[in-house]
Amino acid sequence: MSTSNQTPVARRSTIRWSGLGVFLIICGLLFAFSWLLLDSILKWSIERSLGTLNGAEVNVNRVEHRWSPLGIKVQGVQLTDPAQPEFNRLVIEELMADVSVEQLLLGRLHLEELVATGIRVHQLRSKPGEVYQSLTEQGNFKQWTLDSLAELNMALPDVDEIVARIGLQTPVAIEKAKSSVAEQQAVLQQVKQEIPTAEDLKRYEEELKKLTDVDIKNPAQLQQVQTQFAALKEQFEADRERLKAAKELASNAVATLKTDFDAVKNAPASDLQRAQQLIQFNSEGFTEITAVLFGEQMRQWSQYILLAYDTLAPILARSADESLVQPQRGEGVWFEFTQANEPPSFLVKKATTEFVWGETRVDANWTNITHQHQQLGQPTTFQVRSDQSPLWQLLNLNGELALTDNGVDAKQQWQVKGVTLNELGLSEQTEFTASLVRALVDSEGAVSLRNSMFDGGATVKLLDMVVTAEAENRWADVVATALRQLQRLDINASIAGALAQPEFSFSSDLDRQLGSALKNAALDASKTELAALQTKLQAESSGFLGANQDVLEGLTALLSDAEQRDKKLEEMLKAKFEKQLEDQLKDRLKGLFGR
Amino acid sequence: MLTLLAKFLKALNSESGVWALAFAFVLGMMMGFTPLWRLHNLVIVLIALLFRINLTGFILSFVICSGIAYLLDPWFHQVGYALLSSENWQPLWQTLYQSAFWRVLQFHHTITLGSFLLSVLFTPVVLAVSYVVITRYRTHIQAWFNKLKLVQMLKANRFWMIYSELRR
Repeated sequence: MSTSNQTPVARRSTIRWSGLGVFLIICGLLFAFSWLLLDSILKWSIERSLGTLNGAEVNVNRVEHRWSPLGIKVQGVQLTDPAQPEFNRLVIEELMADVSVEQLLLGRLHLEELVATGIRVHQLRSKPGEVYQSLTEQGNFKQWTLDSLAELNMALPDVDEIVARIGLQTPVAIEKAKSSVAEQQAVLQQVKQEIPTAEDLKRYEEELKKLTDVDIKNPAQLQQVQTQFAALKEQFEADRERLKAAKELASNAVATLKTDFDAVKNAPASDLQRAQQLIQFNSEGFTEITAVLFGEQMRQWSQYILLAYDTLAPILARSADESLVQPQRGEGVWFEFTQANEPPSFLVKKATTEFVWGETRVDANWTNITHQHQQLGQPTTFQVRSDQSPLWQLLNLNGELALTDNGVDAKQQWQVKGVTLNELGLSEQTEFTASLVRALVDSEGAVSLRNSMFDGGATVKLLDMVVTAEAENRWADVVATALRQLQRLDINASIAGALAQPEFSFSSDLDRQLGSALKNAALDASKTELAALQTKLQAESSGFLGANQDVLEGLTALLSDAEQRDKKLEEMLKAKFEKQLEDQLKDRLKGLFGR
Repeated sequence: MLTLLAKFLKALNSESGVWALAFAFVLGMMMGFTPLWRLHNLVIVLIALLFRINLTGFILSFVICSGIAYLLDPWFHQVGYALLSSENWQPLWQTLYQSAFWRVLQFHHTITLGSFLLSVLFTPVVLAVSYVVITRYRTHIQAWFNKLKLVQMLKANRFWMIYSELRR
C-alpha cells in the first residue's frame, strides 16, 4: 500500500475578490472623471440635444453647474438658423436655471425659474453653422422680397418691345383685304360677263316696239305676234335670272370688301389702343410697391413679433415628435411613455427672458414652457410690456401657444406705439434710390395659429414720414415723387399659410395712388413712340385703301348697273303687250262686222 | 513599472480555463454591442471582475464587438424601434417607464433595447462557438501560431519576457 505525498489542491473560489477592488477603483475613477468634466459633458449634451431640436448647429460657450441648490448657468448660446446658416436665429448671452432635484430623480427635467438675458435674433455668425435638417421657414418670403426688388424694373417701357408683344393687327388686316380684293376682282369679271349689256336691252326694246307696232288684221296674225312675244318674254326671264345671280355675286363681293376695308380702316386705332393697354399693364408691377419697399423691413419686425412661433414653437414641435428628429447614425431614438395625468418630462415653470433690440432691452415673461401641453393642461404663455424706451413709447405683446395632436395652436396680439425709425434704406437700385429719413410707427394686430396654420393681420401706421427718393427716368420719378410727398402711410399686413412657411402680404393706399399715376406716366412717356406708331399704321392702312378703292367702286357701280338693267327688264316684262294686241284685233273685227 | 504592469496582467489572466474564456467573450460582446454609457455595462464589468473570467478575452471581445456594433447599429435601432412602438407592448413599456430603476437602465432608447436583447439572444450561440473554437485552438492551432515569425518577434520583447517569468 502506498501513500501519496501529494497535497490536495484546494478548489479555488468562484469569486475573485481582488476584482471587486478593481471594480471599486473603476467606479471611483468614473465618478471623479464625471465630476471633473461634468460641465464639459453638459455643454456637449446641450449642444447635441438642442442642435437636434433646432435642426442646425448649436454652440455653447460655457456651462457651469452648482449642486446646492441644483442649478446650471449656460453662457453664449448660439442657435444657427437652418434656413440661413450664416445667421443665428437666436443668441442668448446668459441663461440660468434652477433644476428640480425631485423631478430629476424621476427622470424629468423641470426648471423652476429660468432667466435668460441678452437675447438677440438674426445675428450674423462668425462662420456658417452646420445644418442637420434643411428648413425653409421664412426663406420664401426673404427670397420673394429680394426677387421683387430685382424685378422692380425702373426702365421706361420700350414701345418696340411692346409692339412686338401685341402682334399688330393692321398688317394682318391689310393682307387679308389684299387676298379678298384679288378674289373679288375675279368675281367682278364674272359678273360683267353675266349681265345683259346696254346693247342687249336696246335690241329688246326695238324688238318689243316692232311687235307692238304690227297692224293686226286677223286672228292668225295675232297668233303669230303672240308667239313671237312669248319667245321674247322667255329671253327676258332668262336674262333676269342670270342678272339676279350676278347681282347676288356682286352684292356679296361688295359686302366682303366693305368688311375687309373697314377692318383695315379700324386696325390702326385698335392696335394703338392695345399698345396703350399693354404699356399700362406693364406698370401694374408697381402696384405692389409697398411690399417691395417695406417688405424686408416688415420681415425683420415680424421676426420679433412672431418670435414665440418662429423659434420656440418649431423646437417644441420637433421635440414632441420623435419621427421629426431624424437620428444620426448610431444615435437611436428616445421614446416617451408618459401618461395623460403625468407631469411633463420637460417643463420650465417660469422664465424671464431679456431681449435686446439695439440698445433697448425688453423683458418677456413666460410660463409653462413644455412640449407636453396636453399633459400639463395649460398652454405656454408669454407677455411683453415695455413703456417709454428710447425706441418706442409703448410695446405690449401677449399670447399663448400649445402643442396639440394636430400641430400648434396659438394666439397672440400686440400693440406698439411711437417706434422711432431713422435712416432706413428702402431701395438702392441704379435707376431708383429711396430711404426713409425718419418716421414714427404705430402698429397693432393679432395672429392666431390653428393646427399649425397662420391666420392674422396687422396695421402698421407710418407717421411724420420724411422720405428721400431719387430717380433717373420719368417713370421712376413718379414713384420717387409720390414717396417724397408721403407724410403718412397706413400699411395693411396679413399673414397666412403654414407655420414653417408663413406667407405675408402688404398693401396700402400708396399702391392704388401709384398704380394710377404710373399708368398715366407710362402713357405720357411713350407718347412720341405711340404717335409714330399711329402714323405708320395709318399710312399703311390709307395706302392700301387708296390703292384698292377702285375695285370696290367698280363692283358697286356694276351692282348699280345690274339693278338698273334688271329694272328695265322688269318694266319690259310687265308691259301689257298681249292685251294691247288683242284690243287692236277686237277694234278691227268690230269695224268689219259692226258697220 | 513594467514588472508591476505584468503582475497586474498576470492576475487578470490567471483564469485560462475554456469556460472562463468563453464567458469572457460573451460578456465582452454584450458590452461591445450595447452603448457604452449604460448602467448594465457597469454590472457586466462587475461580473467580469468579480467572477473568474479571463479579462484579456473580455477586453479583446469588447474592442472587436464595439467595432462590429457600428455596422449593426441600424439593425439594433430597427429592432428597438419596432418593439418600443409596438401597440401590444405599450402597457409593458408604460409600466417600466414609471419605474426610476428601468428608466435609469434606459430601456426606452431604441439602440440600447435592440442591442441588449439581440446580445442576450446571441449569448448561447457565442458561448458554444467560443468553447469549440478555444478547444480546437489549444489542440491544433496554438502550436502553429507560436511558430509564426511575427509572434516570435513579439515574444522577444522585454515586456513579454517579464510577463512569461511571472507566469511560471
